[in-house]
Amino acid sequence: MKLAQASEPPRCRSTLGGGTLRPRLRVSLASLARQAPLDSDGLARIGRRHIYILPTGAGLAFGSVLVLMLIGSLNYQNNLGLLFTFLMGSVALIAMHHSWFDLLGLQVLVRGGVPVFAGQDADFSIWLADDRNRPRGGVAVRIGPSASRPADIPAGGEVAIRVRLPTERRGHQTVHQVQLETRYPVGLFRAWCYARAEARVTVYPQPARLTLRPPLAAAYRPNTQGDRGVGADDFVGFRDYRVGDSLRHLDWKALARERGLVVKQFGGDRAEEVWLDWERLPPLGVEERVSLLCRQVLDAAETGLSYGLRLPGATIRMRHGELHKHHCLAALASFGHG
Amino acid sequence: MGSDPAYLEGLRPDQAAAATGLVTLAYLPLAAQMETAVTGYVALLVAWRVVSLRWPKALPNRWVLLPLTIAGMAAVLAAHHTLVGQEGGTAFLATMLALKLLEVRRPRDVRAVTVLFGFLLVTQFLFDQSAWLALYLATLLVANFALMAHLTAAGRLSARRAAGLAARLALQAAPLTLILFVLFPRLEAPLWELGKTKSRALTGISDSLEPGSISDLVLSRALAFRARFEGAVPAAGKLYWRGPVAWTTDGRRWTGGRPASDRRSPPPLARAQDKVRYQVLLEPSWQRTLFVLDLPVQVPSDASVGADFQVRVARDIQDVRRYRAVSALTYDTGEISPDEKAAGLELPPNVTHRMRRLVADWQHQAQSPQQVVRAALRYFNEEPFYYTLQPPRLGANPADEFLFETRRGFCEHYSSSFALLMRIAGIPSRIVLGYLGGELNPIGSYLIVRQSDAHAWVEVWLQGRGWVRVDPTAAVAPERVEPSDILTDLAGGAPARFQIGDPGELYRWVHGLRLLADAVDAGWRNWVLDYSRSRQQGLLNAFGLGFLREYGLAAAMILGSALMLALVAAAIGRGRRPRDPLQKVYLRFCRQLATRGLERHPSEGPMTFGARIAAARPDLRQPVQSFLSLYLPLRYGRRAPNQQ
Repeated sequence: MKLAQASEPPRCRSTLGGGTLRPRLRVSLASLARQAPLDSDGLARIGRRHIYILPTGAGLAFGSVLVLMLIGSLNYQNNLGLLFTFLMGSVALIAMHHSWFDLLGLQVLVRGGVPVFAGQDADFSIWLADDRNRPRGGVAVRIGPSASRPADIPAGGEVAIRVRLPTERRGHQTVHQVQLETRYPVGLFRAWCYARAEARVTVYPQPARLTLRPPLAAAYRPNTQGDRGVGADDFVGFRDYRVGDSLRHLDWKALARERGLVVKQFGGDRAEEVWLDWERLPPLGVEERVSLLCRQVLDAAETGLSYGLRLPGATIRMRHGELHKHHCLAALASFGHG
Repeated sequence: MGSDPAYLEGLRPDQAAAATGLVTLAYLPLAAQMETAVTGYVALLVAWRVVSLRWPKALPNRWVLLPLTIAGMAAVLAAHHTLVGQEGGTAFLATMLALKLLEVRRPRDVRAVTVLFGFLLVTQFLFDQSAWLALYLATLLVANFALMAHLTAAGRLSARRAAGLAARLALQAAPLTLILFVLFPRLEAPLWELGKTKSRALTGISDSLEPGSISDLVLSRALAFRARFEGAVPAAGKLYWRGPVAWTTDGRRWTGGRPASDRRSPPPLARAQDKVRYQVLLEPSWQRTLFVLDLPVQVPSDASVGADFQVRVARDIQDVRRYRAVSALTYDTGEISPDEKAAGLELPPNVTHRMRRLVADWQHQAQSPQQVVRAALRYFNEEPFYYTLQPPRLGANPADEFLFETRRGFCEHYSSSFALLMRIAGIPSRIVLGYLGGELNPIGSYLIVRQSDAHAWVEVWLQGRGWVRVDPTAAVAPERVEPSDILTDLAGGAPARFQIGDPGELYRWVHGLRLLADAVDAGWRNWVLDYSRSRQQGLLNAFGLGFLREYGLAAAMILGSALMLALVAAAIGRGRRPRDPLQKVYLRFCRQLATRGLERHPSEGPMTFGARIAAARPDLRQPVQSFLSLYLPLRYGRRAPNQQ
């Protein structure tokens, strides 16, 4: 299967970014910046040329305080004032080097987590390992607008950091670059770098709600062996509640999930296999149909039926089981993307 | 900053407490300098903050903070009438920082306090520059950096580790600080003439003398100056440190200046022998007089010597000041000028009849002015004159009352009445204020002169001998020197004329410690406080860098500090020896392969390295594979890195 195109830069959350311009600017700047490449093990190693460093807001304020202290001490010809000013300035300079060394030589490995449905957060885990025997303090990972909390890495050790990215549409949430940043040790400087990554999370379509249920009933293909009569043994599917239905057949779970009153249909007369067919859906848009099929896959899998999926240009054979479900959902996720 | 996840976290109470503690501790030494209103205000805010550490609801909201801010400014304005300058500015800064404490609700508020904290520390050096204060404040500075580290780590760092980190940063910064301090170009004169305000009622010798002016001073153990001699220290009886000279009197008060001089510079000495060279480290006196031994023959270039050998500089001495001088212990000032003679004989209006009669008695018996002087000294010695720190109060005519009634006094009584008697006898006289003696500190071998060594003596002009020093106080019979309780407190600082007896073992031990502390302080003054442009130039000369001036010096400073920074950075970057056992094993594995000529490339991961070895040396494939199959899962958990 060909790789899906990178999903668009995810929407910025108001709590994380500044205005609307900033994340875009950041993304475009980040693409210009040097990034640590991947080596043959799939790890990115942060080298000297990859690290950027600038004072933080607090660092700038600290610097202005130092300038005022310097002028005051010079004016009053106060040597002790000068001495303290120089000590504070030197500590800041030393701290800047600590910030820089905090990132130097880090190994970065990014891996995507389990598939999610569109609208859910995709989970990425980032492994940071130190192989220079330096304890690393407070390294945070940022992917797009999402940032992790800073984590410490023991000397010669490693940590796994999780970053969740919001998803909007089906396909693949890919990560090609992560940003590492640190304010260690005293928060006066912020050092950051970009590391190349190859990681993705499959994003399944968002399942449709059940309100479009009636036309879907037609999608169930009758069993070739004929109608074996209405029974109570085999679950064959759902339909909307009608007055007079037994309360025992109500799908309480569906009710709990606020999908309305749904009745489970039982019978010996229906097929145990269904084809979930693109062509049999009402003439809706592509995304709506994909969304409906996704719901059908989930429902069929929940009831334990064997089901097959027919998409224009692709057919997935009749099967059942967890793996099959993910196979179908993945096919829906990448449908139309290539 | 808003996007930093650490900043979005709530404030930890221990961080707010730490900021409160730091500001309080930093304010404590200032409390002595600040007005009561300001200190009271700061104390109130700190108390409020402490209460709200326990009950956060007690924190004031914006509508309470606004009047509080106004109240703080009002307190400062009421005390200092300004919000800028040395005292007003410091008070303002302290109140605003205390106010900021009440505003602390988020970590970034604490960070604002830590950023401004340095200011609060440095302003204190305008008031006090002792080594102990500097040490105390440096500790607070390191603690402040620890708080910064603690804030940055957002709870992942214990207070102890944060303190360790800050101490390490400070140690690593020390060499760089030293280079900057030594090489930073110093200004010859201030940028702006803001001037320092005299904060405390400083004790020291003033230009005038009246009853009580020196006996008050003698109770102070405060340091006046330190002196280091090139060669042997002169005998104690020769250590008359000359200060202001008083010529005119209204009968009660003797005032200084040089009103009488028709000469701007001192007359050439007819004789100057037993020259001594020495260096003086003078404490800020807020006067213009430099103290030199009797009599100065060489003084610093920016000082002028008056006709009466008073050495003065153009501006008040506001900082520790170092100077070199040469004095002649044996001298003859030669002829007197007519103006000096007139001023030296001027009498106040309240000369009484019995004073004249007393002088007439002496003149009647004496053949020469010398003998009159001797007769006067004998009078002080033989009559029941007492030397005491607590003389009775004197009325409108102190000289007369002292000579004939109370007869209990201190050096100012003896010298002023003696000088007056000499003038009545037609002998030109003047009063010299200064210090007598000093304590030799064996640690560092220099002389400590304290305010308690303050003294006043008389100079009389005698034909053929010039101005001669006469110390009438010394004429008092030793058995009539009254020791007092106050003097036992002064102990070592007491004037040598008071016999205190053996102070005991403990005292000697404590005194030894005091001398040690004074030696530390002297070094501190010498090398830190008085590190001026000239000292800097001297130091550069010693290293053959004397040609460096302003820009050259700045360039040298930048170059030197960059070099030092690079050295320290290299040390930081070298990291530590491996502690992780797994890492140790891996490094040993790499070493073993390196001895077989298979060196790992720095960018090579374990798997690539393993694959390369397997390709290059099929014989090693098996052991390497078995090592990696153990090592990789341990190193990277169960998830081995992606293999393409």
